Amino acid sequence: MVDLAGDLLAAVQHLASYHSNDDDNGGGWLALLAAGPAAGVAVWTTIFRYYRNTDKRNDYEHEAGIVAQPVTGSDQKVDEVHGTRRKRIDGDNVANYRQRVQRIPSDPEPR
Amino acid sequence: MSDPVTPPTTGTPPAGSVPPAGGPAAPAAAPPPAAPTPASPAPASPPPTAVPVTSSAPPAPPAPPPTSTAAATVPAQPVAPAAPAAAPLIPTAPPVIDTERRDLTDGVNRCAKCGSTDIVLNPATGMLVCQFCRTEWSEENAVAAFGLDTDIAALKGTTIASGAKDIAPDASSVVTLKCQGCGAEVVIDTAHAMSGRCHWCRHTLTINDQIPNGAVPDAVLPFRMTHDEAVERIRAFASKRRMFALGRFKREFTPENVVGVYLPYMLVDGNVASDVAGHGEVLRRRYTRGTGNNQTTYYDADVYAVTRHVDFTVDDLTIESSSERANLDTRVNTNNIINTILPFDTKEAVRWNADYLIGFTSEKRDTDIAGLRPELDDQLMSIARAQVQASVAGYDRGVRWEQEKLDVKGTRWVSVYLPVWLYSYYQEEKRLLHYIAVNARTGETMGSIPIQTWKLLLLSLTTGTVIEGAVLGFLGMLLW
Repeated sequence: MVDLAGDLLAAVQHLASYHSNDDDNGGGWLALLAAGPAAGVAVWTTIFRYYRNTDKRNDYEHEAGIVAQPVTGSDQKVDEVHGTRRKRIDGDNVANYRQRVQRIPSDPEPR
Repeated sequence: MSDPVTPPTTGTPPAGSVPPAGGPAAPAAAPPPAAPTPASPAPASPPPTAVPVTSSAPPAPPAPPPTSTAAATVPAQPVAPAAPAAAPLIPTAPPVIDTERRDLTDGVNRCAKCGSTDIVLNPATGMLVCQFCRTEWSEENAVAAFGLDTDIAALKGTTIASGAKDIAPDASSVVTLKCQGCGAEVVIDTAHAMSGRCHWCRHTLTINDQIPNGAVPDAVLPFRMTHDEAVERIRAFASKRRMFALGRFKREFTPENVVGVYLPYMLVDGNVASDVAGHGEVLRRRYTRGTGNNQTTYYDADVYAVTRHVDFTVDDLTIESSSERANLDTRVNTNNIINTILPFDTKEAVRWNADYLIGFTSEKRDTDIAGLRPELDDQLMSIARAQVQASVAGYDRGVRWEQEKLDVKGTRWVSVYLPVWLYSYYQEEKRLLHYIAVNARTGETMGSIPIQTWKLLLLSLTTGTVIEGAVLGFLGMLLW
């Protein structure tokens, strides 16, 4: 039930943020009216996952025996963004390790 | 020559003599706890400078179009430019670790002390026990026997253990053995079992030769959790999920029917380098425009081109080598349940001896190393992304990785059977097989419980209706 309460709270916060961010008042009202359906969906999703565990997988990124050398890299400022309403960078996938992006061919070493 | 098993020996009875079956296994000793291997996080490279954030600033001037500016860089290794596409080269004869048991044969294998073939696993101790003379022993640890404890960072190319060799297309899963006790023929379907009993003389016959059908692995991790312990874990898991469980499931729930299964996996050691490249954003300013209910929040941010490189080794990455189990599509199966109870304490795996499987079922490997490489690459790339995450924590508006590169310098492949207690329930109306699985080493339990849909639907609709009613009431008060 803790998960359920958390989901409901998140749904309400989501709706509240919608309300405060909308330019026209009509969008805010519509978002508020969607609170009921959103709560219903949150209840369904939370309990469904608790029973069926369809979202569970082996967490090998953290559970496998990994020994890594210090991470190296570069950070170069290339642009500025002004006046955006996005809270995060578009396409943020820093925590979505399993989302594959363009693959650069590897060095031609025997495997 | 392989090392023999190590029970106390006082002489072997003449061939063909068959002692009567022994009694139940000796009393159990408490098993030692599992020892998971912790991951080592990589130190982070210097993140971008911390950025002051301005909240609720007065109305700001119109936003100029984004401009490109240069800034200080952190000297380090950038992602290498795209190399010409090259197909992965697989040497025709990769180095092979010979794991064949030459001291065991296909057919009759006897207790070294009394000569009985009634040998089974005692799950309470993880040791083999002779049912006749009660002698207990264990096979040699696979890591030590095969020299798998060498430096993974020194791995180059592909090294495979002989039990992980490619499956011959014409190899049958059905093996016919001639009983050395009486000469009768005994048929064993290695897709489900690795032993059989002679109907005539009651000898137990086992499969130990590495025939090229994927049935005999390099190593086996014995069950260490008893049937009763597994039943209790499954019962506890299901009892927490009774309210919305399918009525028929609850009526037919009999956790005593849980089955011990050895499932086939590949343990992969890898020596890897990886590069990722993308863009990250650092917040410079946050402000609002408008008044009252029409306030809108805006953000200014600096955009960085970000590259990261990490070298790492991975030890005993565990990959399903049964194509059926590797299918984790939750719309059509619940194999993700079995995937979730990984990892196992694979360092405790022992050399292959089919006697460990007597009394349990098994599934044989049906996928070659080449077929598992895409999954390995995917997992290694995910590990690399996880390893570099801490180094970009300074990008408080997130990072969008756009390119990734993986250089697998060396891998070592060992096939192994891992022990799972599996309770299954077939939901006819959805044609879905639900599993509750228990890791028979660590005890980790996960399951899929079929849902009584109308109950959950009723609760969801009720909740939605109540909340909607409250919202409408609130709006009504405002409008009034």
